[in-house]
Amino acid sequence: MRAHMVMLVFRKDWCEIKRNWQIFFPIVVVPFLISVLLPTLIIVTPSLSSISGPPMENSTAMMRNLPSQVRDELVGMNAWQALVYVMSLYFFAPFFLIIPLMASSVIASDSFAGEKERKTIEAILATPISDSELLLGKMLVSFIPSMIVTAASFAIYTTVIDVFSFEIFDGRLLLPNPVWLMLIFGVAPTIALAGIGLTVMISARVKGVREAQQISSILLLPILMLVLGQISGAIFLGPTVVAILIAAFVVVDLIVFYIGLRSFKREEILPRLS
Amino acid sequence: MAVDHLSISIEGGEVFGLLGPNGAGKTTTVRMLACLISPSEGSAKVGGHDIATEPMKVRAMVGILTENPSLYERLTVHENMDFFAQAYGLSDAQGRQDRIRELLDFFELWERRNDKVGKLSKGMKQKLAIARTLVHKPSILLLDEPTAGLDPESAKGIRDFVASLSQRDNHTVLLCTHHLEDAERLCDRVMIVNRGRCVIVGTPEELQDRIAGRPKLQVTLKKLDQSLVQVVKEIEHVREVYVDKDAANMVIAVDDLSETTPEIVGRVVRAGGMVLSVNTLRPSLEEAYLKLVRAENS
Repeated sequence: MRAHMVMLVFRKDWCEIKRNWQIFFPIVVVPFLISVLLPTLIIVTPSLSSISGPPMENSTAMMRNLPSQVRDELVGMNAWQALVYVMSLYFFAPFFLIIPLMASSVIASDSFAGEKERKTIEAILATPISDSELLLGKMLVSFIPSMIVTAASFAIYTTVIDVFSFEIFDGRLLLPNPVWLMLIFGVAPTIALAGIGLTVMISARVKGVREAQQISSILLLPILMLVLGQISGAIFLGPTVVAILIAAFVVVDLIVFYIGLRSFKREEILPRLS
Repeated sequence: MAVDHLSISIEGGEVFGLLGPNGAGKTTTVRMLACLISPSEGSAKVGGHDIATEPMKVRAMVGILTENPSLYERLTVHENMDFFAQAYGLSDAQGRQDRIRELLDFFELWERRNDKVGKLSKGMKQKLAIARTLVHKPSILLLDEPTAGLDPESAKGIRDFVASLSQRDNHTVLLCTHHLEDAERLCDRVMIVNRGRCVIVGTPEELQDRIAGRPKLQVTLKKLDQSLVQVVKEIEHVREVYVDKDAANMVIAVDDLSETTPEIVGRVVRAGGMVLSVNTLRPSLEEAYLKLVRAENS
């Protein structure tokens, strides 16, 4: 495999994506909403209602079902501080797994299906770029922007949370912490790679981008289950869970890549269009 | 089945036309030869390389102009050329830029090099697609409907260029078309395909002769009378004479046009006929093609 050919496909696709607002807009706006607006609303709203008293009063199911190690972290906090602490560090965590998956899914859906829709697929398939170079180039152009967006969202989120926590916790900064660093730089890339691998394979098999997006949206379900699990108090993204997630997704990535490289055959793309 | 037992052999430097109606299997044939799709059965070699076992070598030596221009509309003219030049292995940056400049200059697109392809006219896109096809100096060109959808002027420009490819650069060209004018003007040999099968193959002239009969001679006179017709009928190689008295002309079917024409003209003049014009009436390839395809389909 020739790295410069992989990068050639990457650069060409990236150049196109930058100029396509239908792709660029959702991968910028949704992370902005998650990293700025959501925490601002959640943190500002309780402050307006002046919650006070012990931490576990006025609580949701998630607060009532907190694991003991998290409860220990809340010792000495009032109800508002506890709510801000749990929301900032635990409640929003799964949303940051949606960002890489969503961003990469938008680009990966377009990878082959977009070329089919725009009738550019024949020319690129006719070049002496190998199947694996083509596949990896397409995956890379989904992976790198989604990771940049995820890291940028995390940086913005950290800034927003720390601006609030500096005042609420008397100068204490909540982020970054080790669990979040593992989440952003461990779980997010591995989950994105798995999603990208599957979505690119789907994109190569379907006729259009919308079809690819609809099918690949199923991949968001496990993440939504994590969100619901957190809200209900069934799962908490502590260090152990995060480490397990990284290990699990590394295995999934390896399987997806193996299947992807073995099954991707350019000669099968055009017949599926007719 | 799009292509069924089709056998083609094309010589180096030859322009070979695949002619047929929509759905005849022309595009499928080109796609198989460019290693874009795999045949379910059979084999093919392009430039000596097997399409099944050496697809990368085939792709590297072939330039394909697809039915659609297949250009990235959000990229500029130059970005498109540069991408494909690199994809086809032109790694030397200066050499690549020189080649791109040469082609864009030739196709009068250099001034538009920084424009996005989406802003170009259809004719310009087609020219750019041909420039892209040639960027790596392929020895074999597969051209699928190069003049489709173009205005007459653009189509003529493309046709002239394709003609020069074989004459000047000795490219081997497989030209897929349903434009008979393209086949007649450009091709050394033509294969008419229908329903995935070869119907007939030969030079355009051979096809005309074989399908629609031999050419005829049309002699127009100032005044036509029966004695002149009789003079012509008595000539040895004349098989039939059709007379149009109103137009004062005779259409004469002969065995060998080049041998018999001077004799016919000479006898008519000696018999007192005043010859205004002598023309060869050749059935067009279009007539030949339509006759053949209609016969096939019925």
